[in-house]
Amino acid sequence: MNPEPTQSHQHTDANAEPAVPMWLIGLMMVLLLLGAIYFDNSSGWFDTNVYAPFHNTAELERYQLPSAGNEQVVLGKRLFEANCALCHNNDGMGKAGQAPPLAGSEWVNAKGSFRVAHIPQFGLNGPIDVKGQTYVIGAGMAPMGAQYTPDELAAVLTYVRQAWGNNAPAVTAETISKVRADMASHPQQYTAEELKKLPE
Amino acid sequence: MKYGPLVFLAAFFALSTSWFGFVLKPQADLGRAQQETNVVSSLLYPQPRPGQARQGVDVYRADGCFYCHSQQVGQTGVACDVVLTSPGTNLTAAAEAVVKANPMLARANLTEFLSKLPATVLKNITRDEADAALKLLKAPEMKVEVHIVPTGPDITRGWGRRHNVAEDYVYDWPVMLGSQRVGPDLANVGARLPDANWQLLHLYSPQGVVKDSTMPSFRFLFETRKIGRVPATDALQLTGDLAPPAGYEVVPKPEAQELVAYLLSLNSDAPLYEEPFTAPAPAPAQTNSIAAK
Repeated sequence: MNPEPTQSHQHTDANAEPAVPMWLIGLMMVLLLLGAIYFDNSSGWFDTNVYAPFHNTAELERYQLPSAGNEQVVLGKRLFEANCALCHNNDGMGKAGQAPPLAGSEWVNAKGSFRVAHIPQFGLNGPIDVKGQTYVIGAGMAPMGAQYTPDELAAVLTYVRQAWGNNAPAVTAETISKVRADMASHPQQYTAEELKKLPE
Repeated sequence: MKYGPLVFLAAFFALSTSWFGFVLKPQADLGRAQQETNVVSSLLYPQPRPGQARQGVDVYRADGCFYCHSQQVGQTGVACDVVLTSPGTNLTAAAEAVVKANPMLARANLTEFLSKLPATVLKNITRDEADAALKLLKAPEMKVEVHIVPTGPDITRGWGRRHNVAEDYVYDWPVMLGSQRVGPDLANVGARLPDANWQLLHLYSPQGVVKDSTMPSFRFLFETRKIGRVPATDALQLTGDLAPPAGYEVVPKPEAQELVAYLLSLNSDAPLYEEPFTAPAPAPAQTNSIAAK
């Protein structure tokens, strides 16, 4: 890069053509516009849920299938089958003499859910009478529900109260929170006799 | 090298933007993807592969299956079908509504149409057209469904029922998407050809089960040995030219069993939020060839 004699470049002619012709700038603008339209149509705006042939989440939402059931029941079913079904069975029939059936159980189908919510939250020790039969298992039922959030435990109980021909109202997370408030005063498992003293 | 730092900065900028775009952003978006509860069936998807199938990944990789087989089904469009599942209590009103939604049906025998349920009122239309039809299809207690039908060449070939998405490969390492389709796509081979014996026979002699197949045979995955005191239970049932000499049997080695377990675990047939579809499961095909369809 040698210093050049700058004489000739110093004074440019005001009427001369600009360095970049106007038509080229126009063409670039058009290409940019076309590129933007193409991007908008086929990128899905980099959303990880949007794949061809959909263009955006709003469009994807319109093609969603009707869900298998209400969301609480769907979540409850999954948690039940992963945790409770080992003893109570997928069909809620329980294990003879050990785990009482939940299908058609008078405890499960009570009007209120406060009493029955104590069983998964605290566990249950000693014999319990369900549908005229006595069930008892060695160390009792563990507090299986204590690990869940109130919403999850409410979902499991709602599923139990509405599956296999059961037809009791849904359980809310507030009920579970109320049950959990007893935790400090009663750290051990409940017995059937203690449960009967609680309001439904 | 007057412009050395500038050249360096320009190269650094170019490389780092592509690193952000191709490595960091996808990793941030998809790196923590895991099993999810399926929207429709409420089952967990995808399922981890069973142990034998996980070993089969290595056989699949070592034998270079991915050179000729892809594992990604494409989809070019999505269509809607409007399906009548129950005409309701008032058949006259139902027939009127059906004709209003699809005037082409006026010439058909409507009584017969309404008795064979589920009946497709409109086929291959857009979502907007389907919504418009739903507004017309109103009669007492009439039930109408909108079916979502993915379309595209791969789906027409029967290789899958929807586009493959990142979720399908959560448990795959390495992900063997494949780049060439000398053979058919295998993303759904476990759903298409669920018969383990068919798969073994096909590996032993592709042309024996699919005429004109270009696949090489994988006989080194099998062992021809003298029949012991009792014939092996998993010996291949071979006839004709393929049959081993009398007193001998062809038994799959563990690698063959693992590869087949892996192939049968390839199944991305669940509808997902990303790619919804409603379609009845097709009957398992008897062959793997396109020509036979």
